[in-house]
Amino acid sequence: MTEFPVLTPALPEIFMALSAITLLMLGVFRGDGDTRLISYLTVGVEVVAAVLVLTGSGVREVTFSNLFVMDSFGAFMKVLVLMGSALSVLVSINYIEREQMKRIEFPVLMLLATLGMMMMVSANDLISLYVGLELQSLALYVLAAFRRDHAKSSEAGLKYFVLGALSSGMLLYGASLVYGFAGTTNFSVLADLFAGHGQQAGHTSIGLIAGLTFVAAGLAFKISAVPFHMWTPDVYEGAPTPVTAFFAVAPKVAAIALFVRLLIEPFGSMVDQWRQIIYFTALASMVLGSFAAIGQTNIKRLMAYSSIGHIGFALVGLAAGTELGVRGVMFYMAIYIFMNIGTFGIILCMRQNGRMVEEITDLAGLSKTHPMLALAMLIFMFSMAGIPPAAGFFAKLFVFQAAIQAHLYSLAILGVLASVVGAFYYLRIIKVMYFDEPVEPLDRNISGEMTLVIAGTSLFTLLFFFFPSPLLNGAAAAAASLFAG
Amino acid sequence: MIVQSLAFYLFAAILVASAVMVIAARNPVHSVLFLILAFFNAAGLFVLIGAEFVAMILVIVYVGAVAVLFLFVVMMLDINFRELRSGALQYLPVGITVGLVLLVELALVLGTWVIVPDLAAVSGAPTPAPDQINNTHALGLLIYTHYAYLFQAAGLILLIAMIGAIVLTLRSREGVRRQNISAQVSRRRDQVVAIRKVPTRGGV
Amino acid sequence: MVELWSGYAWPTIIIVLQIVAIIIPLLVGVAYLTYAERKVLAAMQLRQGPNMVGPFGLFQPLADGLKLFGKETVIPAGANRVVFVFAPMLTFLLSLIAWAVIPFSSTMVLANINVGVLYLFAISSLGVYGIIMAGWASNSKYAFLGGLRSAAQMVSYEVSIGFVIITVLLCVGSLNLSDVVLAQRTVWFAIPLFPMFVVFFISALAETNRAPFDLPEGESELVGGYNVEYSAMTFALFFLGEYANMILMSAMTSILFLGGWLPPFDIAPLNWIPGPIWFALKIALVLFMFLWVRATVPRYRYDQLMRLGWKVFLPFSLFWVILTAGVLVTFGWLP
Repeated sequence: MTEFPVLTPALPEIFMALSAITLLMLGVFRGDGDTRLISYLTVGVEVVAAVLVLTGSGVREVTFSNLFVMDSFGAFMKVLVLMGSALSVLVSINYIEREQMKRIEFPVLMLLATLGMMMMVSANDLISLYVGLELQSLALYVLAAFRRDHAKSSEAGLKYFVLGALSSGMLLYGASLVYGFAGTTNFSVLADLFAGHGQQAGHTSIGLIAGLTFVAAGLAFKISAVPFHMWTPDVYEGAPTPVTAFFAVAPKVAAIALFVRLLIEPFGSMVDQWRQIIYFTALASMVLGSFAAIGQTNIKRLMAYSSIGHIGFALVGLAAGTELGVRGVMFYMAIYIFMNIGTFGIILCMRQNGRMVEEITDLAGLSKTHPMLALAMLIFMFSMAGIPPAAGFFAKLFVFQAAIQAHLYSLAILGVLASVVGAFYYLRIIKVMYFDEPVEPLDRNISGEMTLVIAGTSLFTLLFFFFPSPLLNGAAAAAASLFAG
Repeated sequence: MIVQSLAFYLFAAILVASAVMVIAARNPVHSVLFLILAFFNAAGLFVLIGAEFVAMILVIVYVGAVAVLFLFVVMMLDINFRELRSGALQYLPVGITVGLVLLVELALVLGTWVIVPDLAAVSGAPTPAPDQINNTHALGLLIYTHYAYLFQAAGLILLIAMIGAIVLTLRSREGVRRQNISAQVSRRRDQVVAIRKVPTRGGV
Repeated sequence: MVELWSGYAWPTIIIVLQIVAIIIPLLVGVAYLTYAERKVLAAMQLRQGPNMVGPFGLFQPLADGLKLFGKETVIPAGANRVVFVFAPMLTFLLSLIAWAVIPFSSTMVLANINVGVLYLFAISSLGVYGIIMAGWASNSKYAFLGGLRSAAQMVSYEVSIGFVIITVLLCVGSLNLSDVVLAQRTVWFAIPLFPMFVVFFISALAETNRAPFDLPEGESELVGGYNVEYSAMTFALFFLGEYANMILMSAMTSILFLGGWLPPFDIAPLNWIPGPIWFALKIALVLFMFLWVRATVPRYRYDQLMRLGWKVFLPFSLFWVILTAGVLVTFGWLP
């Protein structure tokens, strides 16, 4: 008889799973009229789950026969995921009511996707990695196609599904190669194996490296890093905007967390082998994200390329492969969530006569019609471009610092150049808002939740440099926990 | 042993042949039928290696349920597959090249296959000897204890699949009259039938 | 040479003989099931039934069979010949191979495999292919509609049958059919699991496409359903397969719920009668209920049929699985 597993490390996940099922039941019996209530409850559940994550012991615990791990790295990333998800649900509430998508399944699917992300962050085995990833992806496919009467949304869902399935296949293929050559799928056991043998040349067989490459490719798909990024613009453009906001933050954070854990924990001693992969991906993502975005006219497509670029910057920290680098990645993702959700909040406010508009030119003269909104956008764009004193500057600073410490000078220099190019299109938005004449003003009615979200995120982004220590210390402690084991 | 090896070659040969026919058959319905044959022979191979539970589940789940729905859809689709396939030939060289590259890679990988030496000491779940326990029991012991977490997670994935199917396809149509059985049954005669005395030549 | 004889040839002969010993009575049973059906229906409708061919019309099934043998097999012009001919063969074949695992008494069983219940379940889930292939290959609207209806119906009811089987397995703790029977020595499962027995019986009706769930052949709308284009031997094979399936489902009902070959009480005059006779009697009883239902109940509407399967039986049987498991765990009765 096996011992009954210790449930406390997985308490937030268990709570979320049970709440998701309860909310689903509640929604089914109350009908679509109560979507707003379910959405608020979803946010509540995520807040409670975040509290549960934060009140956890903070020491590294494994449970469910070593399939699940909880440490402060996981806690940090989970809080980020929950925050991104809760903010996305908040900004979606009015949108789904306006666009006739008011169905109770929407917040429930968001909650289940978030649950999948939490499981990814806590995965301690290739199988639990895969299961968490599928839980997340399946919910996201449905969310992308949620506006089923619109051809673009259906197309986005289908495209995302087909390419996502392909990437899952690659990931599984890689995982099976790793299993075939190492004989185990467990991260802890893999780490032990490689710690003993990985350093001596000849023991890291070519099969293992092939497996690792395939796994990395599968994960690169999920974070939309170049060269596996081609789905991103189409899906971002086609999916309903709050879903795009959700896509841009929560799954990225979870997949990056998974990537970091996978490469640092089990494959930590193979850093020389995987560094070149990450190096190339990071560089290509930064460059493509900067250059391809220049020609975009649709703001959602622009955000897609921007997110590709940001993932590239975050991966610079991972390429360093040091504790400092991981701290940089975590810090970058934290900042990234805030500025992205804020920007999408503004995109969600882009309505003319009750109709959503998505062109960059529609923002023309925003500073005259909506000065506060334009100011918030200004802050986000400065932050994304990495102009001090906005938070995005510090995010970039830390990853490049880590890269230089790891002697990746070329990567750091090319990254800075890419961010200069990237600044061009962010500044172009500012130019359109402040110096172009308004053609047709945007609608004025902005809901309370939206104001709250935009104001909160923009204040955070602007005033971050006054009190950076809590976030920095948290990230540092979390990164340390990953390297301790 | 002769019988076993004969059976193995029989199942394996039919399996491979029907797998080839799945992609070679002109008629898509035939393709699905060959796919079913392939599943069936795979189940036969499972029986041969003593995994009778997996074999039966393969037949029940894949042949009995999944392939039926497959067949359903393929039969009802009105697609001209001839036309769809006409372009396939021009991709053949590319396909063969990719296949060859993968084959060479696989050969390279397998050529260097060294299992880490002290693996037995670290491997996660020990497997009991087959004569001590039947394989239904052994699978149950693993799934519901060691892998309980994954079992539950898989359940959640299926839940999402179900929600997704409902969200994307269920439409409540206007003007559909639904049957309410309890209302029908609880209806009493005096609520719906009135007996009138109709006078001659008078009408109701 | 000797080794070849004693090691391979002799066991093969034995097995073939055993198979013949199962199949011949089965086919005779099928023939007389048709006779019984007509007689029982007739009696319930105050008619005579077949009474001309032989004493009491006893040779009627043989005459019917002979007639079908003598007819010409017609293959419609637009039909897919291979699939068209293969479908009835498949149906017939599946109805026979399922009998390999049925235990007729504690010693009489052809293949006493560990996963007997799953084997039966798997084979019965394959039955749908014969019908769906026939419907498609006939290249006829009626046949195709019948085939689709049948496929949907069988897949739906298989789910609840699966859950019913799980409840029984929970009480037995083994997938072996002999163990299932032997676990009923104290009490037949039909008594403690009576609701599941009812669900199983009704699902068995649906699974075999019998009245009141005979929509696939619904002659008033589909002029005979999936087998409308079949004639002569191909039709006969469908017919045989269907009736053999009925007998099989009755056998499964007896094994799972009515104690298989066991006598009702293990007391003197009852346990003198050999097991196979008890088994046959129980099968006959269940078959009588099949016929009785056909004579009594009007045909279901298709949406009602689906509603019953998915919205009533599925939740109910799921609930019952949980209840049974809960009771077994609480009282420590797990086998």
